[in-house]
Amino acid sequence: MEGATFKLPLEMKCDLCQEKATVFYTQVIDGKLKKSCLCEACAEAEGVTSPDGLLMPGEVFGEKELSPTPLDLMEESNEQETECPNCGFTLESLKRVGRLGCSKCYEVFGDEIDQRLPTLHKGVSHTGYVPEGLVKLHELKSELEKLNARLDEAISGEQYEEAACLRDEINALKKQEEGLVNP
Amino acid sequence: MMRFATLLKHPADWMTADDASSSVVLTSRVRLARNLAEAPFPGWARKKERQEVRKLLQEKVEALPVMKNGFSHELSTLVPLQKQVLVERHLISREQAARNEGSASVVNRKQTVSLMINEEDHLRIQAIRPSLQLKEAYQLAHSINQNLEGSVDFAVDSRLGYLTACPTNLGTGMRASSMLHLPGLVLSDQIGPVLKGIGKLGLAVRGLYGEGTESLGNLYQISNQSTLGESEEEILERLTRVIGDVARYETQAREKLVAEDEVMLRDRIGRATGTLSYAYIVSSKEALNHLSMLRLGADLGILPATLKGDCDRLVMETQPAHLQWKAGKKLEPEARDILRARMIRDQLHSSLPSAIDITEKNLTDT
Repeated sequence: MEGATFKLPLEMKCDLCQEKATVFYTQVIDGKLKKSCLCEACAEAEGVTSPDGLLMPGEVFGEKELSPTPLDLMEESNEQETECPNCGFTLESLKRVGRLGCSKCYEVFGDEIDQRLPTLHKGVSHTGYVPEGLVKLHELKSELEKLNARLDEAISGEQYEEAACLRDEINALKKQEEGLVNP
Repeated sequence: MMRFATLLKHPADWMTADDASSSVVLTSRVRLARNLAEAPFPGWARKKERQEVRKLLQEKVEALPVMKNGFSHELSTLVPLQKQVLVERHLISREQAARNEGSASVVNRKQTVSLMINEEDHLRIQAIRPSLQLKEAYQLAHSINQNLEGSVDFAVDSRLGYLTACPTNLGTGMRASSMLHLPGLVLSDQIGPVLKGIGKLGLAVRGLYGEGTESLGNLYQISNQSTLGESEEEILERLTRVIGDVARYETQAREKLVAEDEVMLRDRIGRATGTLSYAYIVSSKEALNHLSMLRLGADLGILPATLKGDCDRLVMETQPAHLQWKAGKKLEPEARDILRARMIRDQLHSSLPSAIDITEKNLTDT
């Protein structure tokens, strides 16, 4: 190259301060290529050179706010995600696919489901056929609830004799319930 | 066990009903969605869990007296063409055909009961009857449900009823539907308002193959949307009433066409007969639309009454997968159109020797 006149291409200037640009940064946003030139100082100030800066601050380059990364979403969701203990299905998935993971999910995500029912169905509770054992179980459960309430009342009213009777009744019903659940 | 080929050789009673009761309402089907209490639903289950559920349920349903000597196959043992044939026969759903691992289809010998294992739900019990017999179809599906409940623990909640993978099926888990042939309403431009009215009653109307299909051959499927808040009997009662009404409108529309527009009617039926009798290339859409006119002609006495059963069978047998199964090889669409045309031509030349009355003496006003 000696003797030849060789010029560097026009010196690139920093997009922000007109200093000599040494940091060249290309990003793809929404499928469009976006090139930026920054001087060392501006690059550092904007966080481009730090590992966290890989997602460029939108305002510097006049871009719309960037969508969160999958990592952000995961962290966010870990904080507030309800998960079905039986099958591991999440509320997030329910919102996305509109289906559930297992029958236990109906208890776990009960509020979310209940909100949707009126738009899906004529009513919010089942009035059709149920297997015989279930009807008895349902009756037993509501009877037990009533007895438990009376027991609490009796205890707080210090009526111990009545409380003892109620307790016996409750135990008898619980045995019946056990028999229906695990025949 | 029933082989696939045997299943195909014998059409079910509901596929070719020859009596007048099925002139508008072709079939009625009821399906019940059921799930095991603890296992994850098929869409969320691991392969191993799906296989366990499949094994358990397949054994239980095969043991039912009504399923004796029936067809029972894990879908992964069938080739895609066989699965497509089952879809065309309405014995499995498209969704189930797309699933492989741990999914099975169990059909009774008479093909009136079809059990789908690991479709969207663990078990779907489907019963099919000819004409408007939704209650009879329900009784059939319900008796199977009751039989199974003795030995299988289905997920039921005292408030929400039967628990299903999708909340749209909660409660009864029942979807009841009828397939209707409505050329009279279509030809007299009344179909739009009728369909709209059905929609307003909270019922769904779809084309030939359920969700997301356009109507071909003037065939419409009417079904309930809501499964929670009404009992099975209430749903079936309402559906039966509405379908009965639609069938009556259709009959009236046909009568009116005969009385006021007979030339047009005979022209449509005659052109369809002519095309199908002599065409060498017929697409499935063209076949469905022309066979619809032939069926109408048979119902109205313009064509021989026995042609109705022939039409129903041709509608079934000239579908793409059925054609390829018959040919014993994969056929490109062009080859299918040629085979379809030949099958229909052959049938019509034996069913319609020269029975078409081409004189104009019967016309009321010429």
